[in-house]
Amino acid sequence: MLPTFEPKILAFLCNWCSYAGADLAGVSRFQYPPNVRIVRVMCSGRISPRFVLKSFQEGADGVLIAGCHPGDCHYSKGNYYTRRRLTVLGKLLEHVGLDPRRFKVKWISASEGGKFADVVKEITEDVKKLGPQNSLKRVDENE
Amino acid sequence: MEGGGILPDFEPKILAFACNWCSYAGADLAGVSRIQYPPNMSIIRVMCSGRVDPIFILDALKKGVDGVMVLGCHPGDCHYISGNLMAERKMRWTKELIEKAGCDPRRLKLEWISASEGERFANTAREFTEQIKELGPLQKEDKEKISAELKAASKVVDESRVRVLMGKERELVEEGNVYGDKAAQKDFDALMKGILDDEHTREKILLAAKAEPLSIKEISKRMGMPSQEIGRHVMWLRHKGKIALHGIEGRSPLYKTVEVEV
Amino acid sequence: MKSGQEKVGAVLVVGGGIAGMQSSLDLAESGFKVYLLERSPCIGGVMAQLDKTFPTNDCAMCIMAPKLVATGRHPNIELITNSEIEKLEGEPGSFEVTLAKHPRRVSSEKCTGCGICAQECPVEAINEFNEGLLPRSAVHIDYPQAVPLTFIIDKTVCIGCGICEKMCKANAIEYDQAEEQQKIDVGSIILALGFDEFNPEIKKEYGYGIYPNVVSSIEFERLLSAIGPTGGMVLRPSDYDIPKKIAFIQCVGSRDEQCDKSYCSAVSCMYSIKEAIIAKEHTEGLDCHIFYMDIRTFGKEFEDYYNRAQEEYKIGFTRSRPASLREDPETKNVIISYVENGEPKEEEFDMVVLSVGIDAPKDAITLSERLGIDLNKHNFVSTKKFSPLSTSREGIFVCGAFSSPKDIPDTVAQASGAASKASSIISSERGKLVAKREIIPEKDVRLEGARIGVFVCHCGINIGGVVRVPEVVEYARTLPNVAYAEHNLYTCSQDTQERIKEKVKEHDLNRVIVASCTPRTHEPLFQSTTSEAGLNPYLFEMANIRDQCSWVHMHEPDSATEKAKDLVRMAVAKARLLEPLKKATLDVKRNALVIGGGISGMTAALGFADQGYKAYLIEKTSELGGKVRHLHYAVTEENPQDELFALIKKIENNENIEVFKDAELLSIEGYVGNYKTKISYENLEKEIDHGVVVVATGALEYEPTEYSYGEDRRLVTQLELEKLLAEEKINPKNVVMIQCVGSRGESVSYCSRICCTTAIKNALQIKDQHTDAKIYILYRDIRTYGFMEDYYQKAAEEGVVFVRYDVDSKPKVEITEGNLKVSVKEPNIDEELRLDPDLVVLSVAAIPDPNNEELSKSLKVPLSKDGFFLEAHMKLRPVDFATEGVFLCGSAHSPKFIDESISQAEAVVSRACTILSKDYLEAEGVISIVNSDICSGCETCILVCPFDAIDKDDKKKAKVNELLCKGCGACVAACRAGAIQQRCFTDEQILSVIRSAFQEVEV
Repeated sequence: MLPTFEPKILAFLCNWCSYAGADLAGVSRFQYPPNVRIVRVMCSGRISPRFVLKSFQEGADGVLIAGCHPGDCHYSKGNYYTRRRLTVLGKLLEHVGLDPRRFKVKWISASEGGKFADVVKEITEDVKKLGPQNSLKRVDENE
Repeated sequence: MEGGGILPDFEPKILAFACNWCSYAGADLAGVSRIQYPPNMSIIRVMCSGRVDPIFILDALKKGVDGVMVLGCHPGDCHYISGNLMAERKMRWTKELIEKAGCDPRRLKLEWISASEGERFANTAREFTEQIKELGPLQKEDKEKISAELKAASKVVDESRVRVLMGKERELVEEGNVYGDKAAQKDFDALMKGILDDEHTREKILLAAKAEPLSIKEISKRMGMPSQEIGRHVMWLRHKGKIALHGIEGRSPLYKTVEVEV
Repeated sequence: MKSGQEKVGAVLVVGGGIAGMQSSLDLAESGFKVYLLERSPCIGGVMAQLDKTFPTNDCAMCIMAPKLVATGRHPNIELITNSEIEKLEGEPGSFEVTLAKHPRRVSSEKCTGCGICAQECPVEAINEFNEGLLPRSAVHIDYPQAVPLTFIIDKTVCIGCGICEKMCKANAIEYDQAEEQQKIDVGSIILALGFDEFNPEIKKEYGYGIYPNVVSSIEFERLLSAIGPTGGMVLRPSDYDIPKKIAFIQCVGSRDEQCDKSYCSAVSCMYSIKEAIIAKEHTEGLDCHIFYMDIRTFGKEFEDYYNRAQEEYKIGFTRSRPASLREDPETKNVIISYVENGEPKEEEFDMVVLSVGIDAPKDAITLSERLGIDLNKHNFVSTKKFSPLSTSREGIFVCGAFSSPKDIPDTVAQASGAASKASSIISSERGKLVAKREIIPEKDVRLEGARIGVFVCHCGINIGGVVRVPEVVEYARTLPNVAYAEHNLYTCSQDTQERIKEKVKEHDLNRVIVASCTPRTHEPLFQSTTSEAGLNPYLFEMANIRDQCSWVHMHEPDSATEKAKDLVRMAVAKARLLEPLKKATLDVKRNALVIGGGISGMTAALGFADQGYKAYLIEKTSELGGKVRHLHYAVTEENPQDELFALIKKIENNENIEVFKDAELLSIEGYVGNYKTKISYENLEKEIDHGVVVVATGALEYEPTEYSYGEDRRLVTQLELEKLLAEEKINPKNVVMIQCVGSRGESVSYCSRICCTTAIKNALQIKDQHTDAKIYILYRDIRTYGFMEDYYQKAAEEGVVFVRYDVDSKPKVEITEGNLKVSVKEPNIDEELRLDPDLVVLSVAAIPDPNNEELSKSLKVPLSKDGFFLEAHMKLRPVDFATEGVFLCGSAHSPKFIDESISQAEAVVSRACTILSKDYLEAEGVISIVNSDICSGCETCILVCPFDAIDKDDKKKAKVNELLCKGCGACVAACRAGAIQQRCFTDEQILSVIRSAFQEVEV
């Protein structure tokens, strides 16, 4: 039997809302699949499209970005930039052949531990169905 | 509750847990003395009656045994000082759970039998066999239902807070708690009864919502309990990650038991 | 008694809700020691129970959590929870307070807050925090983000089984803790006790406690909360079905003599609208209906919220106070009986929410006796209009709902204001009792290769029970640059801090990684350990292997262990690239510029002077006083003119205040701590250096174009009426007052807040002077919130006639043959009411000064859509601008009463003192820096910066003002040239972390 495919998903979370939401999922012991690796940034506005591209290049099967709900941003409007920038990026990724289900942008507040767990479940399940991501993965010269 | 009526050909299966130092020796003495008693009983030796976990009993009943006896030393004679007293308290709650599972609590019997009481052992065995014969087979037509009920009951015993309290009862009532206060037996009983009720309800909810997602109204209809109370338990189970929202039907959220692969 | 003793530079703040936290943080940041006393086991108050906040629908916990954490770890704040005041001795400036500390039975030093005890506790008790909707254990905390994160044993339900003690690997359980007494010396006291909810059981006709589907508004708040009992799903209690139709009943326990609550709770209208909106957002197809007497949406942008509720969310509003509720025993639906337009009606709902009023806190009476302060007849602290923050006892101040029902922004403003009052009497003691920062020499690591130490925490069994910690340590040792790795039972324990320091020395480490819980709570602790070990604190990195690993993968030890290894590897990848950071510092010019010489500006200027800082007060007219100059009566007994002139005298005699009249702001340059401003005054020019700016420019009176105003001298505004009354020039027999002239939809969309009370005040004044005058007040909603409701009652009792009109059939004013005629249609009566007044008084809107626009540009601060100045955050930063160093108060913020303006002005002083009191200002560490060699000067970063922290230098390159930058990194992501980097979150670091998520990264 083939081993089941365990995708690797990178999540970029803003410090004030979504990272806190992920912590709350822990405090509340909401269980979710262990496929996500979290990278903390201070504000979702810090997330450069480059990070997303690099993640897919390195072999991420999915990328999740989460920030404060519109209006809740600790830095008053950082998440609005995120929204615009990443909408464009999402379209671009789709254009170059990446399945849009591999790239998600969500708003998760500090009190939405349950939502964080649900979002992780959702993206993990989606990406599992899609199989390994190869469209943007860097081809190693040594191989 | 199960119905009575003696079946003429019914030969019950009976299990007895006997402590090594008194009751098992008593059973041996019955043998040495060639005292006859019905052959329905199988004996399991344990070092102390205190070792008998309520789960053993519930599990035995679930697996098809019709009655269980727990036999230990007389109070004061326990080889391990107070194991038998612990057993006594535990068996009281086990009876409660057997009843909750819809079975007759008389299917469990606790007796003190010393190493010199071969006669008493045989009499006890005889009387208990008669008793069980009178009660009839435990698993008649509704085999699956009883088995599920008993499984729910054994899960209740498996809840850590139930185990903690069963284990601590004697200490809390007789010796005092960490603050040096002794609990009145009736207060403890009320607490324990409340906990057993709650945990049992929760286990039954989990059991009901295991096969298919159910609404709170449906669960309460099946269990014959008010939805307000069922709802309270479902919220708690959801909070603990034991049940999950599955979908919504009309205006009713449906819940399904979470099965944890360990 | 301690009479004649020296003053003490410490303040006792009583109550740890949002008000108490705000007061404490302000004081602690301005050089005072704070004791924050809280009756319950943790701080946070009612706000922690809220899901969202109006009118922005901000998540309450998201905006409050940073304040909780800041309060909890501030070196100048000592939290004393689970305690009460027993006795007060001494005098202002030097009080001795005796506190009763109730046993917690869990050691606050040892408890790590891991929660194992609560998981294993066999007891399920009523959970007050979740309003009894979900049980909790005997050993518990109120909510997951609680501060202090120390559990407490509730002895009333604990059965003493001893399990928690056995489970606690930190040995924190101490069953034998006893009652303790503590004596503290403080200079002043702030009371911030907040409020209690009205108990709706008292109103028997509503069946609360009997009908399961009748719930209180605070219970409903928990049903909306994502961390509440239903996980944020709105379910009705009888059968946990999703309701289709919910009714909200307003004024349950407010505006109700029958249950002895004659006053208005001031916040219930808004919170019900909020709850209805959120409920609709959470529930598809839900119908919400609000039964009310008057909708009181009087605050900043509240009226818009109300309009949106009607138009966008289709929430129904019925003006009626239901007589009673009954239940359909079959369906458990609730049937509301009410009267609308004189007709009795009935309507069935799935669920009814009672909008409960605000009660004085239950310990108000005992506490007031112990402290010797006066309460008003409603058991709230009695205050005066011109000193809204002072109690009857000198040295004791009050803020928030404890002096009158109020919302969060007003509470926060008062909290800051009270901090200013409390510190002004001990300003000579500033800085004397605060924690001194120790300067530890730092090792220079810039030329060394990274030598990383990794400390992996078991967290008792919280991590170690799932993740195979020793295996993670073994793995860490194989990673490049890792010079040392070990595991600890609790890495956060005091002895481990010592151990980390030893290991840094022993192995010559220059980077430290702790793999344990979350940096959100524990990074500061480990950073200070790193610092004590002689390393720059920014050479520290954390891997979150508990909250985001072991706790969420409890049944998958293999995957969790692998994930923990990945997380450690990612932390190593980042740590390797960490660089030491120095925070920029800058001197502060310790004086303030106050723009506007009205009541707000004057109060602020005097506040600065009392704190020992110089204030420059600029007023555009030739006289101080602003709008209050035209006020002759207050609704209370004070005389505004006397109070005003006393204040002006104080200002003019104060050598710390320099007043410039006929003044104009010419230019302002600089930033927080260092402004240079040019003004002109009385035909002169002057340059002022100052550290902060206060905008106190007030509002203007709307000049009506409606109701024939200006055509007849018997048509006057309320201000004009006041002058006529004061000069005793009129003898009106028949007066008609028309409310909402300009407000609520005509010229401006907002409610002007003050006009209802002003009309009633003047009506009472007319009645006082001319007992037989007939007065009609034509209104849409009477908005006499808080205790002002009592004057509404009084006016009604004295025969003032209140006639309501609908917005679509406004009153008409005609002048025929020299006579005034007013006609109005009362919606409940068919016929039109015709009046023949000899005086018509228009309650006109308060409007923003058109000059605001120019001022906002020169200060680089925003205006709201209505043209008032827009604060940094509607809820929690009511008097700050997003631009640091600039503040606002009074009617420039939005229309308000004298006492509210004074509170805000005092608040500004307090907020500004957190800057002015510093020897030097320190920037955030994690900020952006520009590489000007790469910068192309495209200005994109300037555009995206929310704090106006980026400017161009003389070479047209971007330049970050380190003091203004808050470190969000938005500019970094926006820069197209890669010219900006964010310290601690550089592209290189993050890209390396990304890479290392998949493989080991070569050095």
